[in-house]
Amino acid sequence: MSAQLWAVVVAGIVVLAAACLEAVRSRRARRRTVGAVAAPASDPYILYFTGEGCTVCKTHQEPALAKLGAVHIEKVDAVADRTLADRFNVYTLPTTVVMTPEGKALHVNYGYATAPKLERQLAEARAS
Amino acid sequence: MATQVVDHSALKVNQTGIVATVLVAVLGSQVVPALIWLIPLLAIVLLVGTFAPQYALFKQLYFHVLKPRGIVKPRPVQDRPEPHNFAQGLGGIFLTIASLFVFGPLLTGDFRPGPGIVIGLALALIVAVLAFVNLAFGYCLGCQIYFQLSKRGVIRAS
Repeated sequence: MSAQLWAVVVAGIVVLAAACLEAVRSRRARRRTVGAVAAPASDPYILYFTGEGCTVCKTHQEPALAKLGAVHIEKVDAVADRTLADRFNVYTLPTTVVMTPEGKALHVNYGYATAPKLERQLAEARAS
Repeated sequence: MATQVVDHSALKVNQTGIVATVLVAVLGSQVVPALIWLIPLLAIVLLVGTFAPQYALFKQLYFHVLKPRGIVKPRPVQDRPEPHNFAQGLGGIFLTIASLFVFGPLLTGDFRPGPGIVIGLALALIVAVLAFVNLAFGYCLGCQIYFQLSKRGVIRAS
């Protein structure tokens, strides 16, 4: 086998391993974060962690949040408000946390979350 | 932390250039070995473009050829250029390391093909994969590293 083919195999293994590690990391962070508390509200709301340098936030996440309609979105600068970001184990941007009216984290999405997914999670938060 | 308008089409052209160049270098070098020199050349292009954006080859190609002729439409977004520049610089550093793995043994007079070339080419391919992920899905690993570093205060957001 040529060096080029070996390189393709090695790069493939590294990318696959990185994807698996990311999945494990995300699952672990989600497990630690569900149940974390923030301010209570009259309705379920979304904590939206973003930052000035987050492109996906602007091009994908914010249009998805805009589709949700009359849901309160609490926008948090994850770099400026590190205490809150650390409490919700924010390691990537965007991160969206669906909060119950009691102020408990019910669902945590690390990375871009689509509008239908957030709608589903909000419906669960309303029912809880 | 002031935002400005960043033309995302320029970034996409840059990412396309990276993916295409690495693929031509790695796969093409099986047929034409000299194409492997595209890897250090790309490292130089990315590093120069990071520190002197006015000389960023692929972005200049976009601004002077593709955009004026209407081949690629502009896509201005309120954004900060620093994370993207940081990601590009990171790509340049990884390609420099890849070049050292590929050409390092040659510099020491060792002309036998060794594992270094496999590691070097694999590193270059990983850079191409990350550029492709950014191009196709908008996920920028370098920008995430920038976020982590600024969160820890290692990089001061201007």
